[in-house]
Amino acid sequence: MNALIITRVPNPLRHLFGVVLLGSGIMGATLARGEDAGHVGMALIPAGTYEPQLRNKDEPEQVAVGAFWLDARPVTNAEFLDFVRKHPQWRRSRVSPLFADRAYLVDWAADLELGDRIPPDAPVVRVSWFAARAFAKAHGKRLPTTAEWERAAAAGFSQAIGATEPGFSSAILNWLARPTPAPLPNVGQGRPNLFGAYDLHGLVWEWVDDFNTAMTTGESRADTGLERNLFCGAGAVGARNLNDFPAFMRAGLRSSIRANYAVPNLGFRCARDLPVTTDSSL
Amino acid sequence: MNTSFNLILASVLGALTATAAETPAACCAVLPTEKPACCAPVPAAKPACCAEEKPSAPLSDKSLYQLEGKWINDAGQPATLNSLRGRPVILALFFASCEYACPVLVHDMKRLLAALSDDVRPDVQRVLVTFDTTRDTPPALRAFRERMELDSKWTLLTGTPSDVQELAMLVGVKYKQDARGQFAHSNLITLLNGEGEVIHQQVGLLGDVSAAATVLNTSGK
Repeated sequence: MNALIITRVPNPLRHLFGVVLLGSGIMGATLARGEDAGHVGMALIPAGTYEPQLRNKDEPEQVAVGAFWLDARPVTNAEFLDFVRKHPQWRRSRVSPLFADRAYLVDWAADLELGDRIPPDAPVVRVSWFAARAFAKAHGKRLPTTAEWERAAAAGFSQAIGATEPGFSSAILNWLARPTPAPLPNVGQGRPNLFGAYDLHGLVWEWVDDFNTAMTTGESRADTGLERNLFCGAGAVGARNLNDFPAFMRAGLRSSIRANYAVPNLGFRCARDLPVTTDSSL
Repeated sequence: MNTSFNLILASVLGALTATAAETPAACCAVLPTEKPACCAPVPAAKPACCAEEKPSAPLSDKSLYQLEGKWINDAGQPATLNSLRGRPVILALFFASCEYACPVLVHDMKRLLAALSDDVRPDVQRVLVTFDTTRDTPPALRAFRERMELDSKWTLLTGTPSDVQELAMLVGVKYKQDARGQFAHSNLITLLNGEGEVIHQQVGLLGDVSAAATVLNTSGK
């Protein structure tokens, strides 16, 4: 099963795997343990900081983020199909409406059939937070936190801070300006970022584990007294960078979705903690 | 106000008044050897809420009791959400060291209880789940119970961060810990029917509880 999936991965991604595998003995050990789950290729995101786009006046401008592994690209349809084969409770016809709404995998031809319109190597979308989390758990992984995802996505193609790298922000804005293509392109087609992660921008939005920490009301000019009664402690929110339009879009998306929503262009990728350094296999 | 009235009522009439009023008797939490913690001292005519006496019918696919998380109550005893099955629930997520909203949220729950009809109110279970899983240990929850004068019909639960997160996601509660350790959070009271299905949500603080009361009065068993 692994081999089948790997052979479908586009060439740039194979190259990435090679670089990452050869570049880190720790990574090799981690992948050896994770490959049985049929999902391969993680990028090491070094420790750094996350600057929240929206924050309360009491919150720090920067949040420290420890090093972690992040899937090098989003989870694909083929991988998710393999997951629902092994975990029948996550098939479209069986899933509880609490955990996934009626749009869950609705574009697939059937429970266990992608159909002609759904490329196996395109990112899986229309999956709920619960389903994404279950997938990650089944693979010994977890969803990245908002801080981790944003930390990874803030890197440019070749510089640590993408916002100041020529061409990086414009590439993201170009993606946002285009309608979502149908079918979605395969994963791993674009340029990897500095850490070797593909598609953090330019393909689909992605679930994060703590998306429900994003608190805004639908009407930002709403009476603050009302807001205080809706959200304790979330009265005054300021923005980090008014020009970072994509970050506003992500924050807006996270504050507007619920965990059972299955959204047309919302997929996910998994993360994993660094292995314990006392592991005898290292 | 309501609690004071009930205390007076109970002191006059004794424990036999439990059929209709809030029961100010010691909570079952401090009587661990007698009953599982989920059990309020319900009248004999009512079915106990204990898990082993639960109907064994499959849960509906909209039941929150599908969550398999393991919880701990304020007596330090294990509890399951499924042990709430069989009677309606008013549920809120909170944290005990909350400075503003959570006491008001509890106050709102009491206002809602006061607005219920006398035949529905005794059956309604009151459940508070903390998202401050680090600080809200069973003793901290117990202190909150005492501070807020919550009788034995109130169940206070803590759990793993992951289980709390899943429950919060299911009912649409947002929460986030700030640098001072306080939480920003939604103010939301969720009503469940006997099967653990969400039947109503009261959004915001100090609102009109009549709609929520009507839902419980008409659907409460």
